[in-house]
Amino acid sequence: MLEIKISGRGGQGVVVAASTLGLSYFNAGMYPQCYSVYGGERRGAPVVGFLRVDLEKVLLKCEIRRPNSLIYLDDSLFDAADVRNLLKPGDTILINTTRSLEQLGDLHGLRVGLIDAAYVSEQAGLGRIINTTVLGAYCRLAGQPELNCLLDALAEAIPVKRRANREAAQRAFDAVKITEVA
Amino acid sequence: MRKFITGNHAVAEAVKLCRPDVVAAYPITPQTPIYEQLSDWDSTGELGGTMVKVESEHSAMATCLSASLTGVRTFTATSSQGLAFMHEMLHFAAGARTAVVMAVVNRSLAAPYGFWSDQTDSLSQRDTGWLQLYCENNQESLDTTIQAFKIAEELMLPVMVMLEANFISHFMEPTEVPEPAQVDEWLQPPKLPRRFDLANPGFSNGVVTAKQYRDFRRLSSDAMEHALSVVERVDKDFGRTFGRSYGLVEAVDCEGAELILVTTATITSTARVALANLRSRGMKVGLCKLRLFRPFPVAALRSVLDNAPRVAVLERNISLGREGIFCSEIKAALVNSPGHPKIQGYLAGIGGTDVNQHSIEWVLQDAFSREVFMDQPIWVDDAAAEGGYNA
Repeated sequence: MLEIKISGRGGQGVVVAASTLGLSYFNAGMYPQCYSVYGGERRGAPVVGFLRVDLEKVLLKCEIRRPNSLIYLDDSLFDAADVRNLLKPGDTILINTTRSLEQLGDLHGLRVGLIDAAYVSEQAGLGRIINTTVLGAYCRLAGQPELNCLLDALAEAIPVKRRANREAAQRAFDAVKITEVA
Repeated sequence: MRKFITGNHAVAEAVKLCRPDVVAAYPITPQTPIYEQLSDWDSTGELGGTMVKVESEHSAMATCLSASLTGVRTFTATSSQGLAFMHEMLHFAAGARTAVVMAVVNRSLAAPYGFWSDQTDSLSQRDTGWLQLYCENNQESLDTTIQAFKIAEELMLPVMVMLEANFISHFMEPTEVPEPAQVDEWLQPPKLPRRFDLANPGFSNGVVTAKQYRDFRRLSSDAMEHALSVVERVDKDFGRTFGRSYGLVEAVDCEGAELILVTTATITSTARVALANLRSRGMKVGLCKLRLFRPFPVAALRSVLDNAPRVAVLERNISLGREGIFCSEIKAALVNSPGHPKIQGYLAGIGGTDVNQHSIEWVLQDAFSREVFMDQPIWVDDAAAEGGYNA
């Protein structure tokens, strides 16, 4: 079972990112379960979204404590030591950042994806919105769901800036830098 | 049609399918998305009926019960303090034999304020004369809401449908939403008496003598007893049309089990995983899900639990000064059992804290090997959730 944690800050669209990624897996015929935790309800406060994804019905109705995939919409929340404690070798992590892999710290054993989402979003005409961009990068990093499932989900769940959202996700799919860190 | 939606959205879908004539509600976290979704559909004309904006939950219930007395289908939803504020009107809704249906998103009661799941809010309404059904997941919340209208309108008793904060209300899951035509055929328009007649004005809830009061109570009590068979029949009937039914209680691997764990609501879902894991290791344990709380399904429970040597009750609520509320009820239900199982109460998830597979396995192992069964509940601590019994 895939267990994904999405971290970001209030205003970055963590909740929409989690539900849209869930919808993408749903469109791909899998069984996703998705929830978000946001007590603060203010811009800038840390917000986390979670997904479980399986081929069978997911029965667990409890918190995700040991995710095997991490997505950071904001690299100020990222800490390499925390990540090493949480993930196991072979797990995946995607970070929206302008930093290089070396600058981020020791991530050995992990499959790492880096995306400069602000740049991609700007190029795609999406302005400062980065959540859909990051999801495009995730599809490539994780190998699933297929990009088309995400694009369908974007069209269904996000009624504004349809073309730019689609464009940003496609560009990020191509632009994400993926490294298997030895 | 299969949709990827939250439990709140699933309940709203169910309400829309049932074509209520009057919806009156007041927003409160974590129920608000039900209200918001219904308001959206009201504004686009998809909901039909009349949506009444009220200034409080007390007024929401007063509006619904009055509307129900005119013979129409009514719905409201609330949580926590909102439900507590409704308390007086809950007695009126039941005493006047209305058919109001209400979704309650279980949330902790203040003080202190919290937003997360805790069943004490609805269990505190135990004696108001409402039926109470507790749901395990989004699908069951949707299905039970549809069933609730049929049950309420046949019995002329109000029905509460409970879904938990966060774990259902805000969890998105694939959920089957039935076709409108299918629901229209299964659930006919209400055939309730119209107790307000403009041509012949009268008063619906007059002052009565002590004897009259007793006799009304006796009638309501008989209706509650009759409700057991109605809830069971409606659920089976629902299953024949929609392919899903749930029972008053559900027994999983209880035949010959040395220990049966009793749970309600979302803890049941996670417990299915814990149970399968321990059974694969050879432990003879079973699971009994309690779905209906009022009326209390004594016979159905006894048929599952009477012959078990050990019973553990795990729950997300507390009657301060005693124990978990379901545990007290189950002890009372089994007092005349010939074998009389040993019963141990466990508290976990209070205030919406996490109850995971490990904590449930801890409870099963503890109850399985325990020598002394205590009258007081055991609080399952956070260490149990970190890694099983021996951790």
